[in-house]
Amino acid sequence: MNDMRILERDVDAKAIKIAARNVQVFYGDNHAIKDVDVDIEDKTVTAFIGPSGCGKSTFLRCLNRMNDTIDVCRVEGDIAIDGEDIYDKRVDPVQLRAKVGMVFQKPNPFPKSIYDNVAYGPRIHGLAQNKAELDEIVEHSLRSAAIWDEVKDRLSAPGTGLSGGQQQRLCIARAVATQPEVLLMDEPCSALDPIATAQVEELIDDLRQNFSVVIVTHSMQQAARVSQKTAFFHLGNLVEYGETGTIFTNPVDPRTESYITGRIG
Amino acid sequence: MALGVTGYVILAVLALTVVAFIAAKARAKSAAGGDVRLLHSLPNYYGYNAAMFTAVPALGVLVIWLMAQPMLIENAIFDRLPDHLIEDGFSRNLMMSDVRRVAEGLDVAVSAGAMTEERADRIRTEFSDVRSILGSVGVALGSDVRPEVLSAAQQYRKSSAIGMGWMTGVVLILAALGAFVSVFVSGADFRARNVVERFVLSMLIVAASLAILTTVGIVLSMLFESLNFFRMHPWTDFFFGGQWAPNFRGNSDLSILPLLWGTLYISIVALMVAIPIGLFAAIYLSEYAGPKVRAFAKPLLEILAGIPTIVYGLFALLTVGPFLVSIFGRGEAGLLGVDWMSGATAVLTAGLVMGIMLIPFVSSLSDDIINAVPQAMRDGSLGLGSTKSETIRQVVLPAALPGIVGAVLLAASRAIGETMIVVLGAGAIAKFSLNPLEAMTTITTRIVSQLTGDTDFASPETLVAFALGLTLFVLTLGLNVLALYIVRRYREQYE
Repeated sequence: MNDMRILERDVDAKAIKIAARNVQVFYGDNHAIKDVDVDIEDKTVTAFIGPSGCGKSTFLRCLNRMNDTIDVCRVEGDIAIDGEDIYDKRVDPVQLRAKVGMVFQKPNPFPKSIYDNVAYGPRIHGLAQNKAELDEIVEHSLRSAAIWDEVKDRLSAPGTGLSGGQQQRLCIARAVATQPEVLLMDEPCSALDPIATAQVEELIDDLRQNFSVVIVTHSMQQAARVSQKTAFFHLGNLVEYGETGTIFTNPVDPRTESYITGRIG
Repeated sequence: MALGVTGYVILAVLALTVVAFIAAKARAKSAAGGDVRLLHSLPNYYGYNAAMFTAVPALGVLVIWLMAQPMLIENAIFDRLPDHLIEDGFSRNLMMSDVRRVAEGLDVAVSAGAMTEERADRIRTEFSDVRSILGSVGVALGSDVRPEVLSAAQQYRKSSAIGMGWMTGVVLILAALGAFVSVFVSGADFRARNVVERFVLSMLIVAASLAILTTVGIVLSMLFESLNFFRMHPWTDFFFGGQWAPNFRGNSDLSILPLLWGTLYISIVALMVAIPIGLFAAIYLSEYAGPKVRAFAKPLLEILAGIPTIVYGLFALLTVGPFLVSIFGRGEAGLLGVDWMSGATAVLTAGLVMGIMLIPFVSSLSDDIINAVPQAMRDGSLGLGSTKSETIRQVVLPAALPGIVGAVLLAASRAIGETMIVVLGAGAIAKFSLNPLEAMTTITTRIVSQLTGDTDFASPETLVAFALGLTLFVLTLGLNVLALYIVRRYREQYE
């Protein structure tokens, strides 16, 4: 792992965007997440790594209350974004999800045109006054997802007709278009080939300028390449959380070391 | 003689089958020297193989023989019947059924002991009263037996007896041959398992082709009768005329158009009821209802699909129709004080009830289709901060639309072909009208009325039923093909 750019990393302390304290998640009787405390910084890429079934995706889905859509799932503890408890009764989960965008494991463009895919969020939330503004949002979002040049001539073509990597970048553009503050990515590259993966990773690095990005990944190389902070989950526990460079070169917990050296997982 | 020759032959073949099964199994075992691991197949397979080679060819020949023999004998006898009998106004079929009836009567008389076998062969109408003899053993004949019919019946009995004798011989020889050969080959190296497998395959193919052949047969029979109809009645009047006025003295106006209008109008009313209710029910069940409600409500909704349509018809005639009349009819005494509707049978009555019948079709199919929309679509939309109903309206329904259209087309073809509800609820007047409170009639009800009661299968007024049926068949087949095509295209999108 020589490509870890430890020296380039910005190690200045930043504002805390998401603060989670004592989070427990239950699927029916199954205790999926146990006592997780984590502070996620603004304008930073935070990676969640860990073996399959360790709860990293479950925890990610707590951050925008997507777990609410699963009947048997129960979340306890406090999660605050900008100091506001998102599990408070006064918080509308629908509004919250507009603020905390999400990109999923498998590209899931809607069966609509490329333009309508990106315009979906702004239309629902009334972000554009008129067509010209909407056009602008769509173009800007597609540009920030680094896919504008590939699709600008066929915005009315169906989004499902794009290649896998293009579809995933379209989904990122769709999430960016609602102007979120946090972007959650659940294994965004696991269904993509290496070239598309590289494009998306480059994009994630750019997105850091404007958003707090949380990415769940199976690939430790990917975590090392794109993130500044890394959290290692194991069997529902947050084992270790810190600077990506430290986690990969000098882990404190023996379980973290076993995982990154390939002995468990 | 309770069983008849055929019964004994079948019993004999079955007994041979059991013997062959046991013998083949034993022979295979002894060929392996008691160690079944040396056999190619499990011992039972040798048994099954022998059993099927014994039973299937023999029983197959039996069935074909039983179907072919009466036809051949009747043809032979018919040629010998004197021509003047037929010219007397007896149709061929009536004549032959007389002959069969006398022949059966003689059989009964012999078995009851009223006459000997020899007397049955020699009896003459000139010397004895055949009708009263047969009457004494419980076979009633409509008229005195003509000498020609009696001799034909005797000929019929003789040929049948000879045929039965041959059949017994051939079937038993075939069974014995099959048993002998299959037991003989049951050695350790014989691949009984593979042979049984192929036999199973061919049985499945026979079942599938029987279903297809029956369909082809139905279509062909309708086609021939329709051609007969078009030979007697101009096709231009049938397809392009404007009047439906069957008249059994001849010279009727038989146009499909007023009936087609009634059919389509009632179907449209039915779909206007069934599509919104069915679709909303499907959306609730698939997207909102919890597992408990779903487990309870879905089967309940599908019970609607199990109600016989005649019950819906009664509901239309006795409940919905009078209810509508109390709203739209009866002048001052009615709820609205208008007199727009005179009788319980109307387009609206039949359409409403048919719509209720179609609700489970639309909802059940749409529910499956909505469930087939990947969860990732919903997650994507919810993750962007849209509500559940926004997600359903803007993502789930557009994704499911082709499938829903297919479901609606299937429901439409069901509505067009529906009979009992419209027989009871729609009325019998063929006309072009836009008023849903008037009685109208459909293709299916006219088929029923043209074929019930005294019918003469040589008049266009009766044969028109086949042309109507064929048109209906083509219409619903077209709708079904279109629906399946749309549904299939939709499925390819996600799998």
